[in-house]
Amino acid sequence: MNSVNKSLLKIENLSVQYRHDSEVVQAVSNATFDLNRNEDLGIIGESGCGKSSLVMSILKLLKNATVNGKIIFKGEDILALSESDLNRIRWKDISIAFQNSVEVLNPVLTIEAQICESIKKHYNLSTNELKKKVRYLYEIVGLDNIWLDSYPHQLSGGMLQRILLAMALACNPKILILDEPTTSLDALSKNDLVEMLKKLKQRFGFTIILISHDLDIINALTTKLVVMYNGRIIESGITKEIIDNPCHTYTRGFLNSSPQLYKYKDLWGITSDLGLTLPEKGCSFYYRCPQRAEICLTSVPYLQEVLPNRLIACHKGGIETVLRAENVKKHYMLKNKTIVKALNGVDIILKSGEVVALVGESGSGKSTLAHILAGTIKGDEGKVYFFNKETKNNWATKMIGGMQIVFQDPISATNHRMTVVDVVKEPLDIIKYKDQDYRKERVIEVLTMVHMPVSESFLNRYCYSLSGGQRQRLAIAKALITKPRLLIADEITSMLDPSTQANFLREVKKIQNESGFTLLYITHDLHLARKISDRVYIMQSGKIIEGGPVFKIFDNPKYPYTQKLMKTLELNLSGV
Amino acid sequence: MVLNNISANIEKRLRKWSIQGKFSLFIIMLYIIVAVFAPYISIYPHDISSAPPLIPPGGKHFMGTDELGYDLWSQIAYGARISLLIGSLTSILSVIIGSIIGSLSGYLGGWIDKLIMRLVDIMISIPELPLIILLATFLGPSLINIVIVLVIFSWTRTARIVRAQVMVLKNMNYVTSARTYGASAGYLLRVHFLKELFPVLAINAVRLVSKAIIAEASLSFLGLGDPTSKSWGLILNHALGFSGIYHTDFWKWWVVFPWLAISLLVISLAFITRDIEKLCDPNL
Amino acid sequence: MIIVNRFLEYLLTFIIIISLNFFLPRALPGDPLIQLTADTYDGVLKMTEEQRIYFRDYYNLNLPMHEQYFHYLRNLLRLDLGKSIIYNMPVAEIILKKLHWTSFLVLSSIFITTIFGSILGAISAYFRNRPLDRVIYTKMIVLSEIPAFILGLIFLFVFAARLKLFPLYGAYSYYHDHLNTFQHFKDIIHHAVLPVISLSMARIGSIYFLARNSVVSVMGKKYITTATAKGLTKQRIIVKHALRNAMLPVVTRVFLSIGALIGGTILVENVFAYPGLGMLMQEAVSTRDYPLIQGIFLIVTLLTLSANLIADLVYKKLDPRFS
Repeated sequence: MNSVNKSLLKIENLSVQYRHDSEVVQAVSNATFDLNRNEDLGIIGESGCGKSSLVMSILKLLKNATVNGKIIFKGEDILALSESDLNRIRWKDISIAFQNSVEVLNPVLTIEAQICESIKKHYNLSTNELKKKVRYLYEIVGLDNIWLDSYPHQLSGGMLQRILLAMALACNPKILILDEPTTSLDALSKNDLVEMLKKLKQRFGFTIILISHDLDIINALTTKLVVMYNGRIIESGITKEIIDNPCHTYTRGFLNSSPQLYKYKDLWGITSDLGLTLPEKGCSFYYRCPQRAEICLTSVPYLQEVLPNRLIACHKGGIETVLRAENVKKHYMLKNKTIVKALNGVDIILKSGEVVALVGESGSGKSTLAHILAGTIKGDEGKVYFFNKETKNNWATKMIGGMQIVFQDPISATNHRMTVVDVVKEPLDIIKYKDQDYRKERVIEVLTMVHMPVSESFLNRYCYSLSGGQRQRLAIAKALITKPRLLIADEITSMLDPSTQANFLREVKKIQNESGFTLLYITHDLHLARKISDRVYIMQSGKIIEGGPVFKIFDNPKYPYTQKLMKTLELNLSGV
Repeated sequence: MVLNNISANIEKRLRKWSIQGKFSLFIIMLYIIVAVFAPYISIYPHDISSAPPLIPPGGKHFMGTDELGYDLWSQIAYGARISLLIGSLTSILSVIIGSIIGSLSGYLGGWIDKLIMRLVDIMISIPELPLIILLATFLGPSLINIVIVLVIFSWTRTARIVRAQVMVLKNMNYVTSARTYGASAGYLLRVHFLKELFPVLAINAVRLVSKAIIAEASLSFLGLGDPTSKSWGLILNHALGFSGIYHTDFWKWWVVFPWLAISLLVISLAFITRDIEKLCDPNL
Repeated sequence: MIIVNRFLEYLLTFIIIISLNFFLPRALPGDPLIQLTADTYDGVLKMTEEQRIYFRDYYNLNLPMHEQYFHYLRNLLRLDLGKSIIYNMPVAEIILKKLHWTSFLVLSSIFITTIFGSILGAISAYFRNRPLDRVIYTKMIVLSEIPAFILGLIFLFVFAARLKLFPLYGAYSYYHDHLNTFQHFKDIIHHAVLPVISLSMARIGSIYFLARNSVVSVMGKKYITTATAKGLTKQRIIVKHALRNAMLPVVTRVFLSIGALIGGTILVENVFAYPGLGMLMQEAVSTRDYPLIQGIFLIVTLLTLSANLIADLVYKKLDPRFS
């Protein structure tokens, strides 16, 4: 079957504007996508992003709205059809199960009557046939016939959802639109609904357009996915691929904050834009995007294909790659002439704005890798690229907005003979960045970020008088003062007690979430890794054996070593 | 200083009123002035014959005279006193009584609430005018009695409104937290409730004035009003009782002027009510 | 059951009314007979001996209070409302004679108000906030505040007295005996036009506002969107879905407003000298015919309470959410 036959619905440059008094609100701008037969489509996005407006305009159900663009169905533009032609398509070819609420049904008519009227409109059936059909519909959604005569207010949330589904399927549509079908359902009912939809799909062969916040059902029911933000489509592609590897910073943030995907990770949402007015001619995600640049303020990014089957609307082509290491090798020679292969061909990719954990046992080579990436040790073979430029002579660590590394031992990380202010200021002093006044201001800024005092007396204290935890914070502050895009943290909390560690990591994560730098967190502690990171690399004996999103690696490890590692997570020391 | 603030507030609010609203306010002011200064602005007395009966408007008797030769204008002017007095007295008393009962009912809840609400339901379902007529007949036609009878009927609406509001406010979180600090009912009333209740009560009060004025006019029209007062309704009552009223031109002033007095007052009050309503609920 | 509950409530109300009716004349201080018959500024008894005896018997004033109450209740159950002084006939009989004229005015007025009020309200809702709506809306505000008898007065004098388009008084012309049925019918209508119009115009405002708000509210509901999505025609959506829901509060309000309507009718009848209960009440009041006054009051209250009860029943039937 060629793609022309498969295409069910074509949305071209759809725009929706609402007029309220004198205000004009642009709900959808230039939305374009195709719906192919049997390729169920999911639409995700925060509330207000335009998904409902988009979907309602397919059946021209919006009041007080100007809709521009084309919606091609069966060769005709729906938006150009007359009301009576439109009424023929409505419900029969395309139907919609609205977001569940009792208000969606007429309170003074029985359910049966309301289902019947849609059938009566499109088919000529006798009363008996009608009755049979309604009973049949009830059966396939698993509802008892005693509910036929009831009124909407007599049904529970779960039952209402089934009614809406039954009603939507009454005329055997080709396209079924589902608007947030699981909002009022508990987990068990959700499961039932998903199973039911799958079976119904098999039986009737309709294609689904699914709007939902719920990534579980998006994953379970859809093949293709469209991500909307502020009225625009910013990412579209194959559902599983997007979930594994989101390319737009918004999509990534959205998926990262989903407890369904990341079951153990603490909840961190995308930073809000604090109500700043959106740039008129720029990308509306500007203020919340960790990798924003000048161009993002002045021009709107349009959808472009950055990977096969993936469209992204971003001036930077999606999430940037901050660091790329190819085939890094390092060996040591021992006194007895044996060669220890510390790193045996390591490939690693770090993207902007993410927290990546590098996990392995002691001796696996993690620290060596960290040092090579940061440039403190030179590798024997292989190349390291920082923002696509090969790192040589430490240029990446010598700059503002570059790369920094923080070491494990806080005591040796800071010179105990130096004062606090000097320690933190050091990088700027060495680079000779701006003037002393500016540098001191920055010191105060970063110390505030890591929740340390900024009084004169504290600034002039000597480091030997500080505790381990405080010195570790100073180390972080020092690393942050150059506003790095990548922060490599080598076991920075292993020497801290759990409480200090907890507070410390929360702060680091908070700073990372707000500033948007990439954090490479090296650790042997799997619990911690699962708690704070988005992606994880597993290292063993100088090689990276597995890498990917946390929910994949931790829940579904492929390699035996990883599996063994994950088993240790289940060790219940108090019991077993 | 406080006065300045109040007047500035009033000015700001007035500016939002519609043209009809402002005009109506002006008319009401006129009525009040006429009522207060009635003796001073009427050349002739309202209860002594001062001219031949039933002369048309003109000259010093610019509203004409009635069948007994009483100057119509002074009757209208004194009638304004009756209407405004009864209207405002009824309204104020009803609002006070209604608010107290309504707040008690809404705040205390329980069986007190049920009892009061039963009472209110019963009172509301009784047709007003027949009962007012009955009461007025037995109690006798004096102004005080009319006010009493009207108040008995009017407090129920206020009580319902206040009760509903109080019940909503009672559950507001800021009230709950104030109570945990030990706030007394008096404090809650003063600081939190009154501000919320005031706009609704204002609308209710103006509506009640209108209702009371109409009720008094109706009673007087039927002959149940105070015969000594010169209420507009009573003037109409006398006018319609005059045997030749339909075949002569006397109605053109004898009926029209009291009619105009009532209608204008009631319509102005209506516009003011609408404006206050719009201020309180911009959705209208 | 809720209906039984409501019925009991109304019954309770009626019992209270009856008792009020009983106690009122007896609750006044002093010799009830003096109170009942004295004019306030005179203080001089204007009763004949016959009247005094009549009253004493009528009110059973010689008996102790509870026995009086018993007699009173017993008479009520026998539909004996006493005897009117002016007419010298049983009160019940007189009321029945005049009841149908008042009912005619009330029912005609209800009919006109509901139909026109609803239509105007629906039109206003459809053209919401556009010039047509604003015009109707403002006129209605003014209209709804003016009491019926005030309107009636002006109509009487302008259209009847001055322009002589309508008769001045009565329900029918005095020569009606000479008319055939059709002419008689026309004559009655002719006499009823002004009173009914006065009553209707005074009441149409409240139905209009209610209908308008109701339709506006219903048009914004989600089930209207659902109905549109089903591909139903606009007519069907408006009739089956919108109006069906919007008319609920209007219908109940119509029944509930009968009480106030009766009050207005009493006054309007006096303006137009229409021979119904209103005029009867006026006569009774002016001659202090207490049995008659009380009788009219009871009947009117009973009718109002019944109308309220019917309102409840009708609402329950129409709205399945409350059954």
